[in-house]
Amino acid sequence: MKKYIVFIGIVVIEIVIFLGLLLYGIDKVSEKKAELNTLRQLAHELRLTDFSIWTEARYTRHPSQADWFSAFQDYPSSVEHFPAGSIIPPPELILKEGGS
Amino acid sequence: MEPLIRVEGVSKCFNRGRPNEIWPVREVSLEIYPNEVVVLKGPSGSGKTTLLGLIGCMSRPTAGKILVKGMDVAKLPERFLTEIRRKTFGFIFQQFNLIKGITVKENIMLPLYPTPLGFKEISQTVNTLMKTLSLEHRADFRVEILSGGEQQRVAIARALVNNPDILMADEPTAHLDSKLSKDLLEILNTLKSKGKTIVIATHDPLVFESNIVDRVYEVRDGSIRASS
Amino acid sequence: MKKHLKILEFALSSLLRRKYKNLSIVLVFSMVTFVIASILFLTHSFKKEALSVLEGAPQLIVQRLIAGRHALIPVSYIDEIKKMPGVGKVSPRYWGYYYDQLTGANYTIIGLDRAWSVNGRVMEGTALAPEDIGYCNIGFGVSDRRFLQVGDDLFLQDTKGGLYHFKVKGIFNMKSQLLTNDLVLITKKDFINLFQFPPSMATDLVVEVYNPSEVTNIAKKIKERLPDTRPITHDEILRTYNSLFNWRSGLMLTMFAGAVLAFVILAWDKATGLSAEERQEIGILKAIGWETSDVLALKFWEGASLSIISYLTGIIAAYFHVFFFGASIFAPALKGWSVLFPDFRLVPDIDIYQCFVLFMVTVLPYTVATIVPSWKAAVTDPDSVMRG
Repeated sequence: MKKYIVFIGIVVIEIVIFLGLLLYGIDKVSEKKAELNTLRQLAHELRLTDFSIWTEARYTRHPSQADWFSAFQDYPSSVEHFPAGSIIPPPELILKEGGS
Repeated sequence: MEPLIRVEGVSKCFNRGRPNEIWPVREVSLEIYPNEVVVLKGPSGSGKTTLLGLIGCMSRPTAGKILVKGMDVAKLPERFLTEIRRKTFGFIFQQFNLIKGITVKENIMLPLYPTPLGFKEISQTVNTLMKTLSLEHRADFRVEILSGGEQQRVAIARALVNNPDILMADEPTAHLDSKLSKDLLEILNTLKSKGKTIVIATHDPLVFESNIVDRVYEVRDGSIRASS
Repeated sequence: MKKHLKILEFALSSLLRRKYKNLSIVLVFSMVTFVIASILFLTHSFKKEALSVLEGAPQLIVQRLIAGRHALIPVSYIDEIKKMPGVGKVSPRYWGYYYDQLTGANYTIIGLDRAWSVNGRVMEGTALAPEDIGYCNIGFGVSDRRFLQVGDDLFLQDTKGGLYHFKVKGIFNMKSQLLTNDLVLITKKDFINLFQFPPSMATDLVVEVYNPSEVTNIAKKIKERLPDTRPITHDEILRTYNSLFNWRSGLMLTMFAGAVLAFVILAWDKATGLSAEERQEIGILKAIGWETSDVLALKFWEGASLSIISYLTGIIAAYFHVFFFGASIFAPALKGWSVLFPDFRLVPDIDIYQCFVLFMVTVLPYTVATIVPSWKAAVTDPDSVMRG
């Protein structure tokens, strides 16, 4: 068999797989829609503002509710989240108002 | 009779204007007629390879004219030059210049890849050619494991695959013993009888003293010294 | 077209000559694509799902700050806020945290003061009603950690060290984990007793606004009227999460940048460095009648075939990795860690645009880098090969 047939075969198979995955994804997304609706309603009913992902400290459990300068404060074993982190730039507000 | 190729006062310069400027070919004029076997005879460094390249449209002359079938190729743009090279000339190089790592058959097929021919036609052409040169048992071998004589024949097959009018050979016997050299001359003779024109650059007496040769140009220091 | 197939055929033969070298390039190339695509897929899917759930979050929350720290808010503030035009219902929220020494986990305790229900199943057992004193609903993570079933008792320590017990009336199921994993839902009365919560105080207030586009204005007005408060709008919540995930995925990409750079150097070196052998081959091809454009087409196919295969392989592998195997390699970095950690089942929602961009930054430069250096070799006269 010619090599280019093998090559084009592989590429076509991969493209078909990828398109198949895309379709599968679209299908799954619409399937999940009802579930997400329920969750959205749950958030509304229980008036939840945050995800229960990082439960260790209030600035991780409720990042949208916490004040901006709480580090190492809530959870006895919390070791992460250095305050004034070296990775996140300071908020624009500070930069704008001529702070250093 | 109209010559197939007419070379008129051709010179070639490398590294022009630099301290290492050289003129391997100077003021050469010669004629090659159809169905002739022409030898450019001369020691190594005499400029015959460069001359062969100029005749075969591999490079352009610095001065002078080269007429192939009456057409001045010196001023043709690169694309046409390639086309002429492909349609008119078949080259057998001293080093064979086969592409290592791919099979004998693929090597012979290579010149036909850019043509409009399909795989099937190319394959047929190549199979016939391999049969004539008794290479068919080596078709799927990689070229580098072949013997010198076999590699030579692969190179000849590749040169012939386009069905060119003119076969150009640069020192074709350089890497062959006398037995294989004779075989080669045999092959060339067959080709001549089929109407091909053959130009050989060589300093091997076995070649230029052979009775298949019609005309010998002696090249020395880039110029034609004598012709016979 | 036919011509290109033939040139492609030769390009593949040519690549196969240096089988191991090119295979390793395909491998590394696929890996790089795989990693970047994984991070992009993961972040995108995660963000999309998360943000769509948070659409249900309250429009406006009002906290009180004392000395810069979140403090309990007097219920009397409700009337103050209600007076403002455009404000609908204002209601208190009662919630807080409970560190469970037994399991080392932090729970979020909510004191329920009103009835609730949703369409669709979110729990096993029944939902807590505001009058169910002594009962609770718990998140899946809590039940899992404490080995609790519906009908069992959940013991919590009050502020004086005494034990309270709550009968588990319902357990939130795994599907709602993202929101409820660490929740302990008890009645408001129990909440007040458990924490000795001062009466006439609440944790914060939820403000409903008639016109959603007025939320920011009303937040500003509340801040003016009650300077010790901090209003948090719905948009701010979404923005927080958006930047949170962006930050985490950015962090991953940054960590990975070194590896990408190493690959770029490798690929660049491989693609641009034209060896003497390759130069010679180009000369041979030209000598046997290939045009410059044919040689460039050959180089194009060499680069393109290698990078297209790698790209597709990488992106498919990334899809499987993220959506079928839970992104086991990169999820830890994006999701972080926690004692009570929800089990994510990501929805395969991918952004075609991202795939396209990834294509443009991988396949394209690699192919170009393969062609460009051949250009010079391809335009020179082929007679150089004659002089070996």
